[in-house]
Amino acid sequence: MRPLQPPLTLLSSFQSYASYFVRCLKASFAYRAATITNLLTAAVSYSITIMIWRQVYSQNPNLLISSDQMYVYLLLAGCVNYAMIMNIEFRISQRIRNGLVATDLLKPVDFQIAQGIQAISDGFFNGSMGIMVFLCGFFVFGTRMLPPDFPCFCLFMISFLLGFTVMYGVCFVFVQGAFYTYSGYGIMASRNALQLTFSGVSAPLAFYPPLLKTIADWLPFKHIIYSPISIYMGWAKNADAYQLILQQACWAVFLFVLGKLIMKHALKQLEVQGG
Amino acid sequence: MRENIKLYLTAFNTALQAKFEYRVDFFVGVLTSCMLQLSSLFFLWVVFHQTPSINGWMPDQVILLFGMTAAALGLSELFFNHIWFVPSYIVQGDLDRLLTYPVNSLYFLLITRPELHAFGNLATGTLLTSYALIHLNAPWYAWVFFPLFAVSGCLVYTAALVIAASLSFKFVGPTSINLFVTNILLNATRYPLSIYPQVVQIVLLVLVPYGAFHYLPASLLLGKELNLWIILVTPLAALFFFWEAGWFWRWGLNQYESTGS
Repeated sequence: MRPLQPPLTLLSSFQSYASYFVRCLKASFAYRAATITNLLTAAVSYSITIMIWRQVYSQNPNLLISSDQMYVYLLLAGCVNYAMIMNIEFRISQRIRNGLVATDLLKPVDFQIAQGIQAISDGFFNGSMGIMVFLCGFFVFGTRMLPPDFPCFCLFMISFLLGFTVMYGVCFVFVQGAFYTYSGYGIMASRNALQLTFSGVSAPLAFYPPLLKTIADWLPFKHIIYSPISIYMGWAKNADAYQLILQQACWAVFLFVLGKLIMKHALKQLEVQGG
Repeated sequence: MRENIKLYLTAFNTALQAKFEYRVDFFVGVLTSCMLQLSSLFFLWVVFHQTPSINGWMPDQVILLFGMTAAALGLSELFFNHIWFVPSYIVQGDLDRLLTYPVNSLYFLLITRPELHAFGNLATGTLLTSYALIHLNAPWYAWVFFPLFAVSGCLVYTAALVIAASLSFKFVGPTSINLFVTNILLNATRYPLSIYPQVVQIVLLVLVPYGAFHYLPASLLLGKELNLWIILVTPLAALFFFWEAGWFWRWGLNQYESTGS
């Protein structure tokens, strides 16, 4: 049997993905009210975290890192965390629940890559909000918000992009659960709980009790926030920074392949109701 | 009155049974709400790994606040969760149907959509509170009073959500920003209020009296120099705040314009 459409060339594939990216970006900006809502609630949450650490430092000023460094770390963690927000779990689980995922699978593009492009468009929009938070931090902390040197910044950019890929990989693997449970909330909340605990968003991993730190080292979540920021702040330099970047790349590839394999299995038992 | 209560109970029971039809949702919901509570506890562990106390509050004492907050949240999610849907109902005009029912619109709305992950929060809250009371060698009357305080907390939190939702009648929009802020403020009270600036303390004790249902009773129990009359503050604050929420709801309904579709 002949296929309905001729296979796409590399160039036309790229054009499809590019136009898809532009459409997604426009959609992100259309929902800016919801994003600003998230930004405000995140700001209140971070204020609570900062006030708790302020209290800890007032009682015990001689911790592993200075209070100023801690506040800079928390602000940067907030910016990076914000840029990493992607709605793919909500989007995919909704489409699985109402059956629209069937039409996605008929499109002549790779489902996983198409969702990744949508995640990048989320990242562009949320990243711009993250930059605003960074500028507010710069207003308060001045040059302490900047990396120690230019190579640190370059390595941070690589690490940040890999962190974004790891984040996408984690979300994509988790959302496969929606093919079995049809529940978006549970998937999103469980991933969120693990990420809040092990990514280092509320404290550097160096502050963790040994047991929690060991678990964090074995999971991918620390590569989403802690690894890029420790490179940015110059805590991980030269060989240490390269090692972190290599680990991130390995996790990104592993999660991408794992997501593909799980989805292949999940699609076999997908039921879409007609009518 | 008796007929009305019977009607509300039947409505709640039916909604709960409908929810239990989705068994996987129930297990996933309970598991994830427990995971979210655990994640907050892990953060507490990290903090107490660096310092023996937060502003004079020891780990078991802060766990008591955590437990009470989770229990109040769980109760509210179980019995009064439907309030979260008001902003979208206003936008879509779905409130019209409710307003034609011969019942109190607020009470009927509140109880007709229980959330099953509430059981996770309720279980975690009960466990944490019991753990803290045992480790703090709490007297027998604490075991009697703390469930009442959790119910008061549920009323205070729900009343805050009702006030926030009522504002959506005036400021129409699809997002529930005001409700989320209410939830985050509740989470803020899992830590001793004394760590916050004075203005925030006043907001959390007087304007939105979250602190009244666990921080004040816990302070009294832990001997943090408070008078016994504080015990009365909790139920009074809850009742007054709930009455205030009813007033806001009626004000909101007066602003309501249907979508006309």
